[in-house]
Amino acid sequence: MSIDLNSRRAFLKGSGLGFGWMALQSLQAAARPAKRVIFLFMHGGPSHIETFDPKPLLNKLHGQPVPESFGDVQLQFSKFRESPILGCKRSFARHGKSGHEISDLFPHTARHADKLAVIRSMHHDGFTHTAALNWLNNGWPRLGRPSLGSWIVYGLGSESDSLPAFVVLLEGGIKSGPPVYSSGFLPAKYQGTVLRNGPAPVLNARRPVAMTEAEQRELFDTARWFNERHMEPRSDDTALAARIASYELAFRMQMAAPELADLSKETAATRALYGIDVEGTSDFGSRCLLARRLVERGVRFVQVWSGSTTGTSDWDGHKQCDTNHVQIAARVDKPVAGLLADLESRGLLKDTLVIWGGEFGRTPTSDGGMNGGGDSLGRDHNPYGFSIWMAGGGVRGGQLIGRTDEIGLRAVEHPVHVHDLHASILHMMGLDHEKLTYSFQGRDFRLTDVHGSTELARKLT
Amino acid sequence: MSARVWLIFIIAALAPGQTTAPAILEAKCLACHGAAKMSDLDMRTRAAMLKGGTRGAALVPGKAGESLLYQAVRREGKLQMPPGSQPLTAEEIAIIGKWIDGGANMDSAAHQESNWWSFRPPKKPPIPNDETGWASNDLDRLLAAGLRKQGLRPAPPADKLTLLRRATFDLHGLPPAPEQIDAFGKDNAPGAWERLIDSLLASPAYGERWGRHWLDVVRYADTGGYETDVYFANAWRYRDYAIGSFNQDKPYNIFVQEQIAADEIWPDDLELEGSYELPERKRINLAKRIGTGLYTIGPMAAEYTFFGDQYRAEWQADAVETTGSAFLGLSFNCARCHDHKFDPIPQRDYYRLAAFFATSEDREVPIVSRMGIYEYTRYQTRLRIAEDLKAELARLEGEVRKRAASDRKNPQREDGPLPFTPEEKDRRETLLRKIGEAFYKAPKPYATANLLVPSERVHDTHVLVRGEWAQKSEKVTPGYPAVLNAGGAVEETQRRKALAQWITSADQPLLARVMVNRIWQGHFGQGLVATPNDFGRQGELPVHPELLDWLAVRFREEGYSIKQMHRLIMQSAAYRMSSMAVEANQKIDPRNQYFWRMNRRRLEAEAVRDAVLAASGTLNREAGGPAVVVPLSQEERLGMRDASQWPVSPDPAEHARRSVYLLVKRSFRLPMLEAFDAPDPAQSCARREEWTVAPQALALMNSAFTSTQADAMAASLRGLSPGEQVLQAFLRTLGRRPTEEERAKALAFVERNKLERFCLLLFNLSEFVYVD
Repeated sequence: MSIDLNSRRAFLKGSGLGFGWMALQSLQAAARPAKRVIFLFMHGGPSHIETFDPKPLLNKLHGQPVPESFGDVQLQFSKFRESPILGCKRSFARHGKSGHEISDLFPHTARHADKLAVIRSMHHDGFTHTAALNWLNNGWPRLGRPSLGSWIVYGLGSESDSLPAFVVLLEGGIKSGPPVYSSGFLPAKYQGTVLRNGPAPVLNARRPVAMTEAEQRELFDTARWFNERHMEPRSDDTALAARIASYELAFRMQMAAPELADLSKETAATRALYGIDVEGTSDFGSRCLLARRLVERGVRFVQVWSGSTTGTSDWDGHKQCDTNHVQIAARVDKPVAGLLADLESRGLLKDTLVIWGGEFGRTPTSDGGMNGGGDSLGRDHNPYGFSIWMAGGGVRGGQLIGRTDEIGLRAVEHPVHVHDLHASILHMMGLDHEKLTYSFQGRDFRLTDVHGSTELARKLT
Repeated sequence: MSARVWLIFIIAALAPGQTTAPAILEAKCLACHGAAKMSDLDMRTRAAMLKGGTRGAALVPGKAGESLLYQAVRREGKLQMPPGSQPLTAEEIAIIGKWIDGGANMDSAAHQESNWWSFRPPKKPPIPNDETGWASNDLDRLLAAGLRKQGLRPAPPADKLTLLRRATFDLHGLPPAPEQIDAFGKDNAPGAWERLIDSLLASPAYGERWGRHWLDVVRYADTGGYETDVYFANAWRYRDYAIGSFNQDKPYNIFVQEQIAADEIWPDDLELEGSYELPERKRINLAKRIGTGLYTIGPMAAEYTFFGDQYRAEWQADAVETTGSAFLGLSFNCARCHDHKFDPIPQRDYYRLAAFFATSEDREVPIVSRMGIYEYTRYQTRLRIAEDLKAELARLEGEVRKRAASDRKNPQREDGPLPFTPEEKDRRETLLRKIGEAFYKAPKPYATANLLVPSERVHDTHVLVRGEWAQKSEKVTPGYPAVLNAGGAVEETQRRKALAQWITSADQPLLARVMVNRIWQGHFGQGLVATPNDFGRQGELPVHPELLDWLAVRFREEGYSIKQMHRLIMQSAAYRMSSMAVEANQKIDPRNQYFWRMNRRRLEAEAVRDAVLAASGTLNREAGGPAVVVPLSQEERLGMRDASQWPVSPDPAEHARRSVYLLVKRSFRLPMLEAFDAPDPAQSCARREEWTVAPQALALMNSAFTSTQADAMAASLRGLSPGEQVLQAFLRTLGRRPTEEERAKALAFVERNKLERFCLLLFNLSEFVYVD
């Protein structure tokens, strides 16, 4: 694709907010079912073995060395060949018409089995959190690349005139920090905006305590008066007009934010659906509900995080993996099911792509506690084969895609690399991953680098 | 160590329509005939292909028809390669045939092209006449001639106060103070402008401003990024070194030499000596060597750089890429994995450059006297006391935890408080107090610096297939990119010295051009070459090539004095042009590519914050020292991995230090600076972006920072009449007096609202964050 970089730069610079304007002709998105994305990100790396990929052989081999035939892999903490197999305590049942095998960690989600396309053959090579988080979110194991959400809003723009197009709902700290929702070398406007739980979700979108609304309006209006006078002899400079407009957007954001965050207006039934008034599910439930309210208001990409470095825990089950997962799954299961049901009943599911997954899966072997933080009932990181699921946005539910080997170590059938996942997500949103480029340091960059196949998208839809 | 953007795979090799034979071979053959050496054939180097495998030589250079490789890919005989159902395309086969016929050179075809404009030495052009009388110096004459060619005419000069504000922001990154405005306004004697420039250049604020520009170029940060986000406790020494170098007007060639190889060019031992002070000789030597700290502050994925060779490969890659971008204005990044698709930089050259760093390593060295060390070590016993007490506390907590775990009736929550008995609680508190006291009495660690030093052994450098550290191919020795000027011999133990001398040699075409372009950009908002880190084929061409060359030659003639270049540029009529549009020019060159007027610029993130502090009168002008950490609200901190890695500086006065002294954390950018396009220090930043986004408005309008500063500014104006308050506030923020209309509007606003609000209002004006 060739876009005249300079004219685009000038255009970008001048437009300032420019919602929905990025659908440049040369990038014209094809009409596809998925219009927006809710990515439910299970931070720390949920075990596929305890969730969506049952491996009965592990219980038979529990405590034994890994059979020779599985070879060796590099792990972050444990030495694979020296670690014994760890059995799984979860029980699995088949659900729905599709008969998806889902563990008893997700009784609520399981009721929506027929909406889910489960991919059991995800893989990449980043066996540390940062590399893996960057892989899933930025399509590249290192720092400096734009995130998936940034690429999507760069490609499609926003449908909201008062909210950012890419919103991140965090529980707390992320192991690698904000680079996972950064815009990298894309313009800052494509960066994920973090919204908080509570009445002031957007950073600085609350007027100073001592200021009344009328006073602030006067401040805005007076600033505008000065700014317009400043612009008058400089009318050729589109950045100045953009700046004035950005103040209006800021004002609208500030007005919209409290309404957006006010979950009390939702019916009791809706609140119950997400488990908002129950202690364990209240936090994640509120974020899932907020996610629905965001996509309803035209936000393009919402990422909801479960688990953090500063909150109660995350999915990083080095220690007592089963107990860890029982606790954290109980916090997300009902809200996730609630979100799927709510989106469906509001007619939003058909064009909202919901993705559930973390940065990697976990090993079939015991962590062993090499780093001090784990124990013999924990599992180490496993990026070589893990599960995610997708629903809505045109995804044909009830499908099972791919397979890992008998111990859940490696993806062996229909392997789906992160590049393929990204290419397919873009495809399902009408964007061609080979054409969605941005020129930086003398090269046209893509989310999928020089890789990626959309075969997954064809299977899914 | 590198997190620079480089390719994991070969764009060239995998993109359809590939054009070079080595890239085709790499994509289609090396999986089997690389490290795996199937049939004993290694196709990674020309030599190995000549040697061949079990079937004999793969290549007969000059004779495609006789080459086994060519026969195999044509699939004419028994041997058909690549095996399977995907033969090479006819085009690819033709490329390989032509390549073998041409000698089968593994370096890319572009290799031969040393005729690219930026690789030719700059020449002083003849100075054209300026008949209009506009020109003040030769710079103007060259620019005027360039403008004439485009049918453009220089914009009229800007007024005095606009120039004062422009010059002060350009050289200090701060607004002019009301006294300066007054003094300069009154100074109508000849030479007022020159005196202003000299006084601005003499202030330490100059180095803080231009040092910050330099830190952008060298991807400066105080932490390594990624999950571990290692804290580089000594990074600030390099930051202060850079600031100091600008303030001293250190000749640029020396500045470059020091950073690459101060230890090898000005050798001295690091052995400890001295009683209470370091001997003068060592202090001077160390001051130079801190420049090499440049190579100790790159991005570092500590948590997955397990192997010595891996660490070294990453570290050397960062060294090559930083050296290339910063000093040569060439981005080598792509050549880490494959021959550069567009530039004449073969992959081999990348690793030959990397080999210059193969005899060096980062080491933390004491920078105090011998006695200074003993002052610390003699009292290390006190640290031991503290550690022993900590162990005792851990023992106590362990016992309680164990007891709680066995208590079936009251199961212990993992994150819940431990059930201490009152006695245990007392004991714990006593221990905590004692630990505190012991640490309080413990000796302060002696000062150290991170420097490059000779490594214990000479590390082999190999071309790495696809840039992957474990995929070692041909072993290489240090060498200069063949396309550039020749360099001197490389001594085994002084490799960086050779590199530094080559980069700064008189016939180096890039050094001066790249730096004068950066200086030009610092004054005009855009370089004569719009891509300051890319003088190669993918970069933009210079808009006034003669002017760029003339500046480069002058720079060298002036002994690489950066301050002289500021004088030269700022004393030109070009610099003093207005930033207002001229209709006739606007039609020809609306984006001002040719510099027919001054560019209007938005302040960079640091300058926005510093200007707010300066206008409020709270700016703490203390210079240097360890990174300052400002407080963040809980909202702002969200997403940060661990609050303990954000140790807020306890003294509130520190929080009003200039932005250049704030902690630069690779895994978390300060929200206020991030909103205004502070760069991501994952890689060299050649030029700041100036995007306009709503979070900027929200930050200026609603943040605790601007509110607090507005209050401080109002407080400092108390006691003045409203009219005087408005006037002073205007001078401090906008550098001018209000018009009558503005004054009336302002007074009415102040009357209805508080003065604080008016100060806040001023921070939100376009005029405050833009410089004409």
